[in-house]
Amino acid sequence: MSPSPDTEQAIEDGFDQLIHAPVRLRICAALDPVREIEFGALLDLLGISKSALSKHVSMLADAGYVEQRRAVRDTRQRVWLRLTDTGRSAYQGHIAALRRIIDGS
Amino acid sequence: METHGPVSPAEAAAALAAVRRSRARVAWAGYPTWYWLATAAAWAVMPLATLLPAWLGLVSCVLVSFTLLRLVVVAGRIRGVCEGWTRGAMRSRDVAVLYGPAVVVAVAGGFTASLAWWSPVVAAVLVFALFAGTALTLSARAGRQ
Repeated sequence: MSPSPDTEQAIEDGFDQLIHAPVRLRICAALDPVREIEFGALLDLLGISKSALSKHVSMLADAGYVEQRRAVRDTRQRVWLRLTDTGRSAYQGHIAALRRIIDGS
Repeated sequence: METHGPVSPAEAAAALAAVRRSRARVAWAGYPTWYWLATAAAWAVMPLATLLPAWLGLVSCVLVSFTLLRLVVVAGRIRGVCEGWTRGAMRSRDVAVLYGPAVVVAVAGGFTASLAWWSPVVAAVLVFALFAGTALTLSARAGRQ
């Protein structure tokens, strides 16, 4: 199935190539409706390896989409992740672009 | 897997389906069983409060409300998910499915207390069963996704 001209227009309008990678899309989908998620909890939710999650979180953090906060609980240091305002608006723009691609097909 | 170039409608639909699954897991997965049972028990106390004198019923409802809020905070820390007071991963439909039947039965039990003393007791049992059953089922289903 090849994309229509409408689809190509939708891609330019809000479509975010960085977010669209499957794991990063799922990370953003998990972070969007909440304030923050602990790194270990996100590992369990996504069911991927620690190194893979670290890599994708770093990419999102480098783009300014995700912020990391370190906190100590029960003598263990935990990392909490949250979407920044930029990240949230980029994610929501991307979801809107995906919907337009479907609607325009 | 990196993605490049134009995205087809089928790929976009698959991406949105993955988003929905991810959100459902955040909404439901990871809760300890005791959280759902304790929350169900707290909701079940509400219709029973109508059997108490008015002031004691009111105090009970306030105490139960604080207990419910505390449970949410503790469960959030255990899950490693902080939803905040203005955000939540559950959609409106999830909230309606989880709380709707329990609230309807609790209110009905309270209103019919004057007709039969046992009505709030039956309502409390039903509220507990409805809430705990729904929550544990949906939580287990999200965990399998």
